[in-house]
Amino acid sequence: MKLFRRGSVADRPLSCRQVGQILQSFLDSELDEVTADKVAEHLEDCRRCGMAADVYLEIKASLGRDAPAVPEESLSRLEEFARRLTTGEERET
Amino acid sequence: MLPELDVLLRVAMSLTRNSADAEDLVQDTLLRAYGAVERFDGRYPRAWLLTIMRNAQVNRVRRRRPELLRDPEAGDRILESQTPHDSAEQDALRDAFDAAVEEALEALPDKFKRVVRLVDLDGLSYQEAADVLGVPIGTVMSRLHRARHRIRGRLGDTGLLEGGPR
Repeated sequence: MKLFRRGSVADRPLSCRQVGQILQSFLDSELDEVTADKVAEHLEDCRRCGMAADVYLEIKASLGRDAPAVPEESLSRLEEFARRLTTGEERET
Repeated sequence: MLPELDVLLRVAMSLTRNSADAEDLVQDTLLRAYGAVERFDGRYPRAWLLTIMRNAQVNRVRRRRPELLRDPEAGDRILESQTPHDSAEQDALRDAFDAAVEEALEALPDKFKRVVRLVDLDGLSYQEAADVLGVPIGTVMSRLHRARHRIRGRLGDTGLLEGGPR
């Protein structure tokens, strides 16, 4: 996502409102580099936005810990299935 | 072409909430993919496979009873092990925080929950999640952002944000 062009409003610092609108995309690494740098700069300077970002990061990390492990047996069977598909064995059976 | 089977399986588990159904869904996806491989332009294989998986899942749900998808107990939910250097107090705080986050996630409407699972649990990009769900990327963003806002609000109500894991 690109919000600012180089040499225009990109030179101005972001407001808290602007950061709030793109904070989630920033945390998900979905922003272009220029915008991401500006958000990071704002979060360094603004205690309120910085704390909000910390909370969302903790929630994101917690959700990541909640991810169910991929069952190894399922993965092995699927690898074998994919191998048989590519070699044409699966379509014959 | 080597499909990213672990990613496919993880996403399938988010979609089906059941490891046996997830395995079937990935098999179905692979079969469809190999059947259609001549029409694949070679670009963005993951997005291509995820779109196929979405279509396969839509067909499966049409054939089956919807309550299978809504069963929150289904599937293996094994929490990742925690870092070994944490103190018991930090462990307890993290457990409480994780439990509250999980509860807040479960309380969300299904369409919000699904986006959160795909992005935060499965690690998909916004575009990939949009491909899986068959919705525009803007819808993924708005659902995800509203979902996280609600989770944060719910955590605030429990007072756990002050003592969250650091």
